[in-house]
Amino acid sequence: MVSQKIKVINKSGLHLRPAGELTKIAGKCLSDITLVKGEKRVNPKSVLILMSAGIMCGDEIIVECDGPTEEEDLKTIVAAIESGLGE
Amino acid sequence: MRTIIVEKKSSKGIVMGNVYLVEKQDLKPRQDMINEDQIELEVASYDKAVAKAVSELEVLAKDNEIFAAHVELAKDIALYEGVVNRIRNEKQNAEIALRNTEEEYCAIFDMMDDEYMRERSADLKDICNRFMRILKGLEERDFSGIREKVILVAEDLAPSDTAKLNLNYVLGFITKLGGVTSHVSIMARSLGLPALVGVSEILDEVKGNEFVILDANEGRIYIDPSDDFVAEFKLKADEFARKQKELEEASHLPAVTTDGRKVKVCANVGSVEDVKNMLKFSPDGIGLFRSEFLYMENTHFPTEEEQFEAYKEAAVLCGKEVIIRTLDIGGDKELSYYDFEAEENPFLGFRAIRISLELVDVFKAQLRALLRASAFGDVRIMYPMIISMEELTRANEILEICKKELAAEGKAFNENIKVGMMIETPASVIQAEEFAKHVDFFSIGTNDLTQYMLVVDRGNKKISKLYDTFHPAVLKCIKRVIDAGHAQNIEVGMCGEFAADDKGTGLLLGMGLDEFSVSAGSIPEVKDKIRKSSYNEAKAVADRIGDAYTIDEVMKLL
Repeated sequence: MVSQKIKVINKSGLHLRPAGELTKIAGKCLSDITLVKGEKRVNPKSVLILMSAGIMCGDEIIVECDGPTEEEDLKTIVAAIESGLGE
Repeated sequence: MRTIIVEKKSSKGIVMGNVYLVEKQDLKPRQDMINEDQIELEVASYDKAVAKAVSELEVLAKDNEIFAAHVELAKDIALYEGVVNRIRNEKQNAEIALRNTEEEYCAIFDMMDDEYMRERSADLKDICNRFMRILKGLEERDFSGIREKVILVAEDLAPSDTAKLNLNYVLGFITKLGGVTSHVSIMARSLGLPALVGVSEILDEVKGNEFVILDANEGRIYIDPSDDFVAEFKLKADEFARKQKELEEASHLPAVTTDGRKVKVCANVGSVEDVKNMLKFSPDGIGLFRSEFLYMENTHFPTEEEQFEAYKEAAVLCGKEVIIRTLDIGGDKELSYYDFEAEENPFLGFRAIRISLELVDVFKAQLRALLRASAFGDVRIMYPMIISMEELTRANEILEICKKELAAEGKAFNENIKVGMMIETPASVIQAEEFAKHVDFFSIGTNDLTQYMLVVDRGNKKISKLYDTFHPAVLKCIKRVIDAGHAQNIEVGMCGEFAADDKGTGLLLGMGLDEFSVSAGSIPEVKDKIRKSSYNEAKAVADRIGDAYTIDEVMKLL
């Protein structure tokens, strides 16, 4: 398993549109992905679960990837979050 | 006539017309339990409903990007599994399984601290209602029955409803649910239609086709008013509409008083986006460009290049003077990537120019970016929170170093860039006469000046009554600063909402203020107010106020 810490820069956090964007990207990754915010661990492949984590702007989260393509997937997810998810 | 009083005002305006009641479809789930044999049938019917909903949403998504997100939500794996597990494991029919799953997730959203997130449960409900409607074999709600202009009354309106609406027939909206950030509110504001939301009693009070007056300015709904009342209200509505139109049309006219004194009315902006939006109000320039946003919406101190691009774009877009305030951070504004040590009194602490003079490299990156942008327009630099001549001198020394560097590098900039300062500390007021000899302009920041002058924390509710810019001490400060600036022939502006205050504008005009910098939306009103005023009359009032000893006396004179 690989992981990386990252800060969310989206102004109103991971709400509907950026969360949907991330879900689409995560859906294409083969590894099991988990976003960790404090005590909460969520699967970003579900936009509902992702939104229910209430990840806000400035939150530090850890992205974990586990699976055959974990290195690549981690890079993809981190790059997507860093880019602001289309906002 | 019945009257409903509404607290939350969502989008302004006055309209009257017949109610079109948006009927609720009966989406109550059927209550029967299923047996083992029916499981796969229920799952199959749910699968079909999801597929149909997704294809409906994909059509809607072509014209409206919010539905693109709804498509994702409709396909959501957690939602799907929640429903299917309930069908398989708990033998619930698809409708109950759907409702239970919906409620589970909505409960999570509803518990969140953030209003925006709470209202996202509306998106989920919207989708689940679509599933339910399809499960029940009902057709999509349409508004084809609307043939005249109506006031739409509904429990709530989802994006999927309003997408089907012919907006030419809508005078305004009243909904039982929703807040100021809900879909209906946002849509109404962007269309310029009046709306009142969160009107809990509306569906009990009003029937379809009943005549109502919707006064979203005052937050009133009048149901079945008398003819006399309607006639009277029509005058009010016409007056409001006429005034709005007139203000907007006249906004491009210069702000000149009836006796010929011309002042500038500028915009306060916080981003390049704001600069684009303000253009329609024809400001005389930007009186305050808050550079903080570049720092706050970033993961690192923005580079010279990043800042240069933003300042240049603002200068080019605006085409007139652009006063850019150097970083004003600290106090209540923090950066995610810089550790401000906890302070006992952040407003009296490490903030604004104090930070710039300490983090010299950060300051230099900003000054170099500002200088380079000055080759593309009338960019002016403004230092915040100055309390001493030493600070001003030091800041200018660093500016000179930057100029030398850029000249050596052969980069273009305006050698005579104008440099001014905010007047927002008592020390800068007391020494205004001296400061005026060393800067090109002053801009009075009334929020901080009032707070520091009166020693009142503006965020503290318990003492919020004490926070009053009309306090004679604050007004004396403002007058003194204007006079000090004029004695040295420099312009004095104000970048605070006090300049747009109903009574503040006239008073400041009379005191001789040269530039009023206000939020873009206030520009038409402030310009209008100035154009209707006589400078000499305003001056006479301002002079008399110099002798007022209490806030009451001040208010009586205004």
